[in-house]
Amino acid sequence: MTTNPSGTPLPPRPATTGTAVFSARGLTKNYDATRALADLSLDIRAGESVAVMGPSGGGKTTLLHCLAGIITPDAGQVLLQRDGGTTDVARLSDRDRSALRRSTFGFVFQQGLLIPELTALENVAVALMLLGVDRASAEHSAAQWLAALGLAGMEDRRVGQLSGGQAQRVAIARAQVTGASVIFADEPTGALDSGTSAEVMDILLHSTTGTGKTLVVVTHDDDVARRCARTVRLRDGRIVSDSLRAEVAA
Amino acid sequence: MSAHTDTVTLPATAAKASAPRVPLMVPLRLTWLLARPSANGLSAAALPVTAFALVTALLLTVVAGGLSFFQWKDDTGELYLALAAIATALLVVPLMTLGGSAARLSARRRDERLATLRLLGAPASTVAVMTVAESALLAAVGALAGVIGHLLLVPLVQLIPFRGEALGRSVWMGPGPIVLVATGVVILAALSAMLGLRKIVISPLGVRTRQQPPKLHWLRAVGAVAVIGAVVAAMSNLDGIRDFAVVVVVLVTGFAGALAVLNLVGPWLIGVLARRQLRAAQTPERLLAARQILDSPKRAWRQVSGVAMTCFIAVFGGTGAALMNASGPMEGSERFLGDDVRTGLLITIVASFLMVACSVGVNQSSLLLDRRDLYVSLDRLGMPVGTMNAARTRAVMFPLIVVSVGSALTAVVVVLPLAGMALIFAPLSVAVIIGCLAGGVALVLLGLRATQPILAHILRTPGAAL
Ligand SMILES: Nc1ncnc2c1ncn2[C@@H]1O[C@H](COP(=O)(O)OP(=O)(O)OP(=O)(O)O)[C@@H](O)[C@H]1O
Ligand SMILES: [Mg+2]
Repeated sequence: MTTNPSGTPLPPRPATTGTAVFSARGLTKNYDATRALADLSLDIRAGESVAVMGPSGGGKTTLLHCLAGIITPDAGQVLLQRDGGTTDVARLSDRDRSALRRSTFGFVFQQGLLIPELTALENVAVALMLLGVDRASAEHSAAQWLAALGLAGMEDRRVGQLSGGQAQRVAIARAQVTGASVIFADEPTGALDSGTSAEVMDILLHSTTGTGKTLVVVTHDDDVARRCARTVRLRDGRIVSDSLRAEVAA
Repeated sequence: MSAHTDTVTLPATAAKASAPRVPLMVPLRLTWLLARPSANGLSAAALPVTAFALVTALLLTVVAGGLSFFQWKDDTGELYLALAAIATALLVVPLMTLGGSAARLSARRRDERLATLRLLGAPASTVAVMTVAESALLAAVGALAGVIGHLLLVPLVQLIPFRGEALGRSVWMGPGPIVLVATGVVILAALSAMLGLRKIVISPLGVRTRQQPPKLHWLRAVGAVAVIGAVVAAMSNLDGIRDFAVVVVVLVTGFAGALAVLNLVGPWLIGVLARRQLRAAQTPERLLAARQILDSPKRAWRQVSGVAMTCFIAVFGGTGAALMNASGPMEGSERFLGDDVRTGLLITIVASFLMVACSVGVNQSSLLLDRRDLYVSLDRLGMPVGTMNAARTRAVMFPLIVVSVGSALTAVVVVLPLAGMALIFAPLSVAVIIGCLAGGVALVLLGLRATQPILAHILRTPGAAL
């Protein structure tokens, strides 16, 4: 259930090959009169880093939420490959989607949205405790992750005592401590200055695709997108471009 | 923080230049614009209105009940009046807690609106007028609903028997006093909004700085033990004192001292016990609950301290009832005294728990709304709603149990030299005490449950913001 952040449990895979973890087919989502997603199809391969870009209101967050099972599309399928089988995330019950989110997916939001009363360590450990891991093991893994992300010595700080970049790193640790295979991030650096933003993005990429995990990141920042292997642009709920980065990650 | 201030001030000056100043109409129109029910279903005004309605209904009913004791003019009547005064006094603390919750609720709305207003370019005076107008308006609507609630409660209260017959018509105050009390609630709400305004000037964002929570000193416990020791010593020596007045003074002082001790030591004790809970926590809900309490043991205490006195009194009263039962049937107008003390006791206890339950409901609702984004994000991370609710429940119930049991035990220690083991642990007094506590805890649980739909609503309609 836990992975060792410093080791590499899975060898990094080239982004262009491999099977699709996600196959979105004909996703459509309407909010009253607004068409947020319009018959959108997209494959995301294991180990890939995908930047989702496009104008505000283009449907980026909606797509992310459909893939992650936070909302269900009005039409279409979200096929997830896992444990050798295929699951249609869009057809799962609320309860099953919630379980899927806590076990298989990791999330990083724009603002860390950490629990303010908990320490940095506890914020990370809670993700594991929700899966039934006992407190001591959970805190042990959490401490390893914090250290791996450069936060050693800050375990006992509370959210108010962390900088924006540090809080975001705690959130990155929380997203991955469970061994989640897919990490979703919605403008994870949107509230940070460009220097800190680059740092956080480095850490996010290294700890995810660097160890074979899949990363889907919504961003407005070209620098962030340039670091991802693939960029998908949305406008009015449709994909207007889908390009692989020319040079492959070192 | 400074970044936020910048973004607020810039557009404000721009808007100010273009908007002609109309002294009163603009703030009032803005108030209406911002206060009208929002389109997303759950009207944000509903909560403070409900809170003020509860305050008004309970306050009116307590006053009406208290006044009804003026109906008896004989000697025993004076005794009844004194007891009613004590009961009313006991309800002041939980009632004030509830009033404070209501005021904080409308303050939360105000903080929320303030940013919007500044962005719209409203000058400080407009904001001030709006704040007070809005709070008064919400309180007025709430007070009106509270009066209706009181009118519904009166027939029930009239059924309560004292001195062998139902209270009946004596519980009716008439329209004058009702209007007076309701107006008082509105004025207090407006005043508290005005006072709150000054706090905003000092800390414009109203954001709590989340540093390490303060640790309360163990010296509190030492001081508390000393005071209790003194009280017990004084109570033990009451036999030697012949002067009845002195006995009363000692009793009252001892009583007040014990309550002061509860106030002093309560937050400390809750902190110490919560820290132990924190260390032992193996599930997310236990961890969250313990941390939430430790974030401010004082706040946790304040929320439930209304029952401290009641539990204290439950022991006194329970013992008193057992004592009167033991001393055999009384004659004349005093023959109902034993039963009536028990009735009064029950009512006081139920009322105080009811008030605590209401203020728990109100506080929890505003806490949920305050932390909307956090709960939505936890839901997205896959935290089950059941876990969120379990954590919230523990964070309230744990201090509540500590307070009830703690004050009941303190009372036992204080009463011991007066009544002795046999009476305190007589089946009757134990039954009264346990029954009251269990009923009270159940009421507070109900208050908590009432807030679950709010969490469900928040998670159902996260809004496009996140
Ligand atoms: N809960 C909702 N209720 C109503 N409309 C919504 C909701 N969520 C999204 N929308 C609408 O759907 C469209 C797509 O929104 P979405 O949040 O996916 O855009 P986005 O690309 O993430 O934009 P941004 O870059 O501003 O975050 C927008 O027009 C938005 O107003
Ligand atoms: Mg978005």
